[in-house]
Amino acid sequence: MKVSYRWLRDVAPGIGLTVDEAMARLALRGAPVEAVEDLAAGLRDIVVGQVLDARPHPNADRLTLCRVLGPDGEVPVVCGAPDVRSGSFYPFAPVGARLPGGFRIGKRKIRGHFSQGMLCSERELELGDDQAGIMLLEGDYEAGAAFATAAELDDHRLDVEVTPNRGDLLSHVGIARELHPVGQGGIVLPAFPAGAGLEGSFARGGSESASAGVRIRIEDPELCSRYLGAVIRGVTVGPSPRWLANRLRAAGARPINNVVDATNYVMLELGQPLHAFDLDRLAGATIVVGRARPGESLVTLDGEARTITPEMLMIRDADRPVAIAGVMGGRDSEVSSESTDILLECAHFEPKQVRATRRALGMSTDASYRFERWVDPATMETAMLRAAELVLAVAGGELDGEVIDACPAPWEAPVVSLRPSRVRHLLGVEFSSAELVALLAPLGYREARTGSDVVDFVIPGHRGYDTLREVDLIEEVARTYGYDTFPSALSAFRPGTVPDDPVFQLEDRLRGRLAGDGISEAQTPALGPPRHGDVPLLNPMSADESHLRRDRLPGLLTHLERNLARGVRDVRLFELGTAFAPGDNVAAVPRESARVAVVLHGRRAPLQWSGADGRMDVHDIAGVVELIAGEAFPGGRVLPAGAAAGGWGGPVLDGAPLLVPERCYQLVDAMGAVVGWGGEIRAGAMDLPPWAGTVVGAEAVLPSSPAPGVAVTARELPDQPASQRDVAFLLPAGTGAGDVLEAARAGGGRLLEEAEIFDLYEGGDLPPGARSVAIRLRFRARGRTLTDKEVDRSCRRVLKKVKGATGVEPRS
Amino acid sequence: MIDELRRLREEALDAFASARDVGELERLRVRYLGRKEGLVSGVLRRLGSLTPEERPSVGAAANRARKLLAEALQDRLSEVTAARPATERALDLTLPPRRKWRGTIHPVSQVIDDIWRIFQSLGFARARGPEVDTEWYNFVALNTPLDHPAADEQDTLYLAPGLLLRSHTSPVQIRTMERYPPPIRILAPGMVYRRDTYDATHTPAFAQIEGLVVDEGVTFVDFKATLAEFARRFWGPGTQVRFRPSFFPFTEPSAEVDVKRVIVREDGREEETDWIEIMGAGMVDPAVLDNVGYDSERYTGWAFGMGPARVAMLRHGVRDLRLFYENDMRFLGQFT
Repeated sequence: MKVSYRWLRDVAPGIGLTVDEAMARLALRGAPVEAVEDLAAGLRDIVVGQVLDARPHPNADRLTLCRVLGPDGEVPVVCGAPDVRSGSFYPFAPVGARLPGGFRIGKRKIRGHFSQGMLCSERELELGDDQAGIMLLEGDYEAGAAFATAAELDDHRLDVEVTPNRGDLLSHVGIARELHPVGQGGIVLPAFPAGAGLEGSFARGGSESASAGVRIRIEDPELCSRYLGAVIRGVTVGPSPRWLANRLRAAGARPINNVVDATNYVMLELGQPLHAFDLDRLAGATIVVGRARPGESLVTLDGEARTITPEMLMIRDADRPVAIAGVMGGRDSEVSSESTDILLECAHFEPKQVRATRRALGMSTDASYRFERWVDPATMETAMLRAAELVLAVAGGELDGEVIDACPAPWEAPVVSLRPSRVRHLLGVEFSSAELVALLAPLGYREARTGSDVVDFVIPGHRGYDTLREVDLIEEVARTYGYDTFPSALSAFRPGTVPDDPVFQLEDRLRGRLAGDGISEAQTPALGPPRHGDVPLLNPMSADESHLRRDRLPGLLTHLERNLARGVRDVRLFELGTAFAPGDNVAAVPRESARVAVVLHGRRAPLQWSGADGRMDVHDIAGVVELIAGEAFPGGRVLPAGAAAGGWGGPVLDGAPLLVPERCYQLVDAMGAVVGWGGEIRAGAMDLPPWAGTVVGAEAVLPSSPAPGVAVTARELPDQPASQRDVAFLLPAGTGAGDVLEAARAGGGRLLEEAEIFDLYEGGDLPPGARSVAIRLRFRARGRTLTDKEVDRSCRRVLKKVKGATGVEPRS
Repeated sequence: MIDELRRLREEALDAFASARDVGELERLRVRYLGRKEGLVSGVLRRLGSLTPEERPSVGAAANRARKLLAEALQDRLSEVTAARPATERALDLTLPPRRKWRGTIHPVSQVIDDIWRIFQSLGFARARGPEVDTEWYNFVALNTPLDHPAADEQDTLYLAPGLLLRSHTSPVQIRTMERYPPPIRILAPGMVYRRDTYDATHTPAFAQIEGLVVDEGVTFVDFKATLAEFARRFWGPGTQVRFRPSFFPFTEPSAEVDVKRVIVREDGREEETDWIEIMGAGMVDPAVLDNVGYDSERYTGWAFGMGPARVAMLRHGVRDLRLFYENDMRFLGQFT
């Protein structure tokens, strides 16, 4: 809601607040000001100039030579307008002044004559489109005075944020009522310049009423409870007087013509949207408020052909729809410069109906915005008479007959009971009945009855939609008392019944582990292009974010790509997020799973002087998968994908596995289920610069209910020395070093404490493809020192097992 | 001869231990373990001078000694080779430390974590809910009828009629209360989705944190006090907190919470910031409690929702929200 501060002061003369104070007060009343604009900011240098005399320029037909009295006495001015009047006042930009557009006035010589300033047009001052001539100021002014003040243009426009429950704040009177210390009682409706006052009478009726030869009928009282119509004959449609146009502009509205401006003025003043019809264009001089007939359409004021459906409420004449009720008028019946007789509409429409209609039409107007937030039904007559009076004042004509009042469903103010005990229960502070009445009365809540533990309040019309429950009144109490006035004291609390979610705990641990391992946490949206997901959105913003991701890894890879594209070569990212699979139930609710994903590219350690900065490969991602397994899947194992039976179950992209299956590991949980994958990313699945190296990645599905951590039982440390043997094996091509190690471990019996590969060698004098694998075996027994004989025997068993399982023999 | 072996073994082990380079060790190997002149081999060669009864045990002892010394020599050899730079040239301590990669936790996660730690100490537990939810959980159960303008405030991404990506974490309120009886004290961080275009303050997917307290005797006074306590712990003891009336369909009275912080400039001067809006909050609307079958005459509560990314922007002086979601290593790497 754009509020003119001058207008606000006019309707609440006793308000006594500066602009800043008004803004601060509004913020604390729940309607913060988002922006404030000083409307006179561009007019600071402009003064009132009086033309002392004017004569035609001797060397040019269209120019006038003037002597202008300004702040620095008399100066010569050459003016481009032919009709400058001696003795009259005009806005004047002296030498050195800056126009609103930023143009600076200098001393100039025009066709042999000096000009020391400029008489300005409305357009030059950005006050309107009238460029026909310079802006004559009617009335008496002091030459040299600040123009903005003299013309009452020194104003501020406040952009007030109004929450959806406060339709009553969408007017100057509404804002003033909220700000004024005495509330409603401090509001006045100022007389219009040239206004004559209007004592209208009403032709009261039910669903139907008539006057001045015009008939109004309401077919659907549920959707339109009341419709007022005023017939004004003999208007002259034209531009609005300057005061009216300025006022609308100050409130952010665009002046159109005097009749339309009058209706907009009343809407901005009182919050009641109105509409003016050209009466001659209404067939049968009839208004029917009812639903659209099948197959009808309407071209609205904005020139759009609207497809209307039978659920929509229309304003119709005898033949056809002429306006969409509460949303927008039709073009055919719009008031134009030829109009002489008009019908003013002031109606009350049901909010949900207006909302449904304007949503179905994909539009929102100042009128629909207000109607769907509730317009005060108790202020309709005031609004109607005020609009009629303003039309008479600015467009002439006469009110014909009585105001037609079709009112099938008179509004009755709701009564809401408020218990002081409940106020205390919610707010924690004791208020007496009298205190509650004192807090609520200025806002228009009238005390109807006070009982022993209850006060009944009559709800004012402007809050008749959203203040219907006791708790709504309690909010009004808190708001008026002042949120900051309430004490702030911590009290004891009982522990809650909800346990801390174990998935969050698991994610915490993974986050710490992975960051500790040198990988940085990324956050990416769960939305991606169609190739990243199987669950489409109904109303996506873009094709790039039209689907819910089936895996997290492809999205994370796009961020790796972006890093590489920017020249960042060492990229290690992980992410915790949700993935979505198509739902298999009737409601098609997607299945969600919490995931962890990792991508790695580049050096294993930062560039440094002592090496150790080789490029990361599948073995690095295998280590990360093992780390994830350790946190998320106790008892889980990381195995080469080839070792697991079954088809590819890991992340896919473009119909193919995202990881190279031959260079990939699977994470198998303790129950044998495959829950994660890690390996080399398929080159075709990425868009990388030519210098990029191997990219490895992993993704795991986190358990939906992770097992609580089990306390480890500590093992005692050995008290005997260990015996160590190193054995080297010669592996032919195709034999896995891990298989040899596995066999060695299996063959060592209980004396073998540990077996690790400590050297891997190929090339040199070895046959092509063959590798030498050195394994260090450590033997130990509890409680005694092993003899050489025992160690030798165990060693032989190891060798036998290795040979049996893999066919490999030790190197001689 | 057994004694001689023992003496030789001890002598050799001492010599190995004090040897400082490969050459010295090689000389020791020849001296003790050499096939021809080695002292241990010498013992073996003299086995013939023993009685047949003595020979096996002495022979075995000699073999054991040779094996042990060979291992000890090998161990010392690898020690000496590994330590070579230390012995052969002075250490250059001006070299940069030998560094490893440092991973960082996302700045938004860090904020969530810091918020969680504070609320954990105030007795809260974390709760989760699905990211795809129904209109019932996202709107209707939260007292937001779809035909009310309040439903427009959040432009929602739909999967199907009635099925949507949650536009706030508030559905977790409903899901938690449906599952657990009061008292409730939960914090619900999670991703939420809106039909927003990317700009400096909007992304279609972003994190939110919901808080909910429901019990007997919970009042507006507790509400203010707990959130003020949180704000002072999060932003520092000098932080001022202001509650402004506002509107959310699922709370009444509703409030926006602003903080005014004291920040210390680089030159040590303390400076007060402007009021900064940090969360929407309020007393749980009785209609919400009714919707989950709680007795709203008996139980009262309060709730809040805040955007950790916005908090992270304030904390780190980040002007463009999109930086948090571009995941550039050079950006993420700053939040150690």
